[in-house]
Amino acid sequence: MKRVAPLTLAALVLMGCGSGESIITAGREPPVVTQPPAPTLAPGETLPVGETLPPAPTTIAPTTTAALLDTLPDCPTDALASVTTPVELTMWLGLTGPLADQMRQLADAYNASQSKVHVTMIEASYQQTIDKYLQSNQENRPDLVQMPEYMVQTMVDSRTAVPAEACIKSSGYDTSAFLPTLLDAFATQGVNWSMPFNISNPVLFYNKKMFTAAGLDPEKPPVSLDDMRADSQALVSSGAATYGVALDSNFDSGGGWYIEQWFAKAGEFYADNQNGRAARATKVLYNNDTGVSLLTFLQSMLNDGLAVNVGDNTSGFDNLLKLGDKDAPAAMTIATSAAIGPVLAVLKSGQFPQFTGDDLGIAPMPGPGGKPGALVGGASLWIVDSGDDARTAAAWDFTTYLTSAQVQSQWASETGYLPVRTDAQTLDPLQTTWATDPRFKVPYDQLQAAPDVPTSVGPVVGPLLEVRTVTAQGVAAIFGGADVASTLADSASKADALIADYNSRNG
Amino acid sequence: MAADIGATETTHGARKVGRYVLLVFVAIVVLFPIYATLMQALKSGPDSIDHPKSLLPINLTLDTMRAAWRIGDLGRLLVNSLFVSIVVTIGVIVTSVLAAYAFAFLDFPGKGLLFAFFLATLLVPAELTVVVNQRTISSLGWINSYQGLIVPLLATTFGTFLVRQVFLTVPKDLREAAALDGVGHFRFLGEVAVPLCRPTLGALALFTFLGTWNQYLWPSAIITDDEHRTIQIGLERLKTGDVDKLNLVTAGTVIAALPIFIVLIAFQRQLVRGLTAGAVKG
Amino acid sequence: MKRRWRQFPVAIGMLAPSAIILGVFVVYPLIHSIQLGHLRCDATGTRCRDGGWIQYVDVFRSNEFQHALFNTIGLALMTVPIGLVLGIGLAVLADRHLRGIGFFRTVFSSTVATSVAVASLIFFVLLQPEVGLLPHLFHGLFPVLKDPGLLRDPNTAMPAVALSSIWASLGFTFIVITAALQGIPRELYESAFVDGAGGWTRFTNVTLPMLGPTILFTSVVLTTRAFQAYAEIALLTGGGPDPERPTQTVAYLIYGQNSLVKNDIGLKSTSAVLLFLVLLVLAFVQFRGLDKRVHYGS
Repeated sequence: MKRVAPLTLAALVLMGCGSGESIITAGREPPVVTQPPAPTLAPGETLPVGETLPPAPTTIAPTTTAALLDTLPDCPTDALASVTTPVELTMWLGLTGPLADQMRQLADAYNASQSKVHVTMIEASYQQTIDKYLQSNQENRPDLVQMPEYMVQTMVDSRTAVPAEACIKSSGYDTSAFLPTLLDAFATQGVNWSMPFNISNPVLFYNKKMFTAAGLDPEKPPVSLDDMRADSQALVSSGAATYGVALDSNFDSGGGWYIEQWFAKAGEFYADNQNGRAARATKVLYNNDTGVSLLTFLQSMLNDGLAVNVGDNTSGFDNLLKLGDKDAPAAMTIATSAAIGPVLAVLKSGQFPQFTGDDLGIAPMPGPGGKPGALVGGASLWIVDSGDDARTAAAWDFTTYLTSAQVQSQWASETGYLPVRTDAQTLDPLQTTWATDPRFKVPYDQLQAAPDVPTSVGPVVGPLLEVRTVTAQGVAAIFGGADVASTLADSASKADALIADYNSRNG
Repeated sequence: MAADIGATETTHGARKVGRYVLLVFVAIVVLFPIYATLMQALKSGPDSIDHPKSLLPINLTLDTMRAAWRIGDLGRLLVNSLFVSIVVTIGVIVTSVLAAYAFAFLDFPGKGLLFAFFLATLLVPAELTVVVNQRTISSLGWINSYQGLIVPLLATTFGTFLVRQVFLTVPKDLREAAALDGVGHFRFLGEVAVPLCRPTLGALALFTFLGTWNQYLWPSAIITDDEHRTIQIGLERLKTGDVDKLNLVTAGTVIAALPIFIVLIAFQRQLVRGLTAGAVKG
Repeated sequence: MKRRWRQFPVAIGMLAPSAIILGVFVVYPLIHSIQLGHLRCDATGTRCRDGGWIQYVDVFRSNEFQHALFNTIGLALMTVPIGLVLGIGLAVLADRHLRGIGFFRTVFSSTVATSVAVASLIFFVLLQPEVGLLPHLFHGLFPVLKDPGLLRDPNTAMPAVALSSIWASLGFTFIVITAALQGIPRELYESAFVDGAGGWTRFTNVTLPMLGPTILFTSVVLTTRAFQAYAEIALLTGGGPDPERPTQTVAYLIYGQNSLVKNDIGLKSTSAVLLFLVLLVLAFVQFRGLDKRVHYGS
């Protein structure tokens, strides 16, 4: 056995050094399936939102012409009526701390309001919940799970969920009050998979005091990227701020997610096959003129001193901190609407004497050409196929409770997330919260302003998190001065490889 | 004290002062991070982030630690961690001493192979084992149980090797003399080998207790209820978004580390006592 | 031959408890992972295809793995020698019958009370020099932030991580060496003194050789820790400032938040098993290299 080690050493040395390949191409090539290729959309061809391409022709003769929905687990919502003992449900959260506490309060209220279902919530971070969920088998899985927006394709491919659409159809649930963008965000290939729950999107945070000092109107923040540049120029030239904008290259913001946002605002697709909604996505499309000009624009702002790069921003707050920097502050930054509440709390604590709560302005995120709209961030609720009709029906019942107008009004008001339905804003406490401080309403208006076109709904891609990660690395290099075109091409090819690999394993 | 042999030279004058100066300097460097953390935990929320004043021992309060205790239900968590750590420590000492004796004093076919087997396990990454063990424990029905927490941790190669290294320094003639006197293995183990390595056993007990106390990966994999939760995974609950309670986690961490410090101080006394008890007589 | 078999029953009895526990909870997962390592699987691990044993070679030679291996070796080269020297130095420094030496010993051991996570957190706070920094706002894992500076500069990020790691392991090394120092027979020092050997010579001729097995042992443990460095990376740098990612260690490549192999249990196992093999080789090298200097018995 002592010989194993030197043998291993020899083997490792013989294996040689770098192959120049990526780790995801390891192993033999997947077997080539001799099938006619799945239909994809021609460049420029679009379908209305919610429609899909016909399924891929296979060599197996289809037995029926059933729609995709019929092949998925069904949702017998009437099973709850015949239940005699309370159904015990487990729900896995992706929220922790005070947010999880608020979720528990909602669960307690629900449990107290009826006697057929009893919900227990287990809190963990999104990452822990995702890992645990994917590692479980049917006995260990929860009945409901909260999954972030980038998990849609993975959840679909896990073949463990009951699509929300089945429940909506079976119970005749009225979804007209929901924001269409939200329902579409969690639907793919013609099926609505999960119900949106805690939603946010990125907004512009800016310092009104600095705007005034620079001679700009504090109530007229920039709408387009060009406006943002012009305003930055004014801010820097007048000395009101050291930098106009604080940029970052985190995968969850400036380096990854915002790229998707900007493409949506530009009215362009980020991935093929209509962002993966009409049929499974096979590659990213951001390596085009729009992408190059967008990143060249940002790079030039950095080079001209109008913007500053705060780096990886792994904490999520470095860019916001830059607004409060005593020595070299920035006047604007883009961050998630979920941060509005916490930022105001910090400003009110007096930590920054030069920047009070009233100085903070919130505006829609500037985009190419000033077009409105934003992609959905946050998470949705997934019903897990337990094989037990009663539990499925109970899970749906709890879902409808969580997405009801009153609960949404309360939840949005307390947490700063957006309500998922339009009728929540006319109910208290949300109505009062928004009336008292309209800044909290900005992200909601931004979402509503999105045009009803396929590009308004973001990409659904299996390895979306990994794609964002490799894109962010490219953006970081670009912010560091690398050549835009070649770096973007490099990131795109990495992303394509990730998607191809994912499809070969999960398709 | 063995190294005291130079004591006749060094305990005088300047050398002694020099040694003390060095000791104090190093102690400050080593302690500084701990001191900073302690200050954070003993201040109110806003004070703890008011750098650099946060490092001064002023405006100290126990409020944050009390809050952490209450919010995190730290009492129960401490008991759980204590129970698990003690049982695992005892188990590891027993299994390690036995296995180390076999490797150090016995000769038998397959010894080399088994030794390599043990060595190999030292190098297996924890995350690799957690996933598979989770399934094993689950199939035994031991999820959310004390035995599920304890059993996989009851033997470590680390312990076996540590004790083996010390056993190997026992002179061969000692063992041979005992064999000639008809002393069996277990008697030799109990009367000679173990007393010889008491400081090392003390170190092993300390490390095992610590390692188990600080375990995060394994408890978070198999404990999801409140009853069996241990302190490390319980500290998660203290992560709040409130500006006023930022150092809650730090306070909880300090509480979680307090038992360790007590054990550490007690261990130091043992170590000093072990000096005179463990020396091998020529 | 007979004598070897005579001790066999006793040996088996003594080894059984450890062997069974280790077998079920360490060796079995390893074997299972080796088996998984030639597969490519879907996210849930239920549908797998055969990637062939060539998969191990491909992963080892891949860009990401080589890059991570390079970084990890760098971390080990910083933490292991420095950690050993400091540990031995402190142990010898505190190895005197001075008044209050117990206090100093406690101080030097104290870092062992901190878990890796806590130690990283402590250093996280320390590595930010700016006054008046904004506290954590919302999702931040710990109530501190990453500072522009040591952790964000690609050149200093890994040394900063190494600093945190060395500090955290200092207590462990100190305790182990101190315990071993107690076991050195006094007569050896006495006879060396009688032979006219000075302090430093006694250290090199008596102390170091007698510490041999323990140094070897500590070296293997510290190396293993460096190669399995995960928590400190996760808390301090998240893999290192983009785009160079100089703190992406092998463990973080496999288990990190944005790991590319996370959602493929097959590929993840391949990488984990390769990590184990690398550690195996390193341990072997250290055993061979230091074995000559090791002094057993007398």
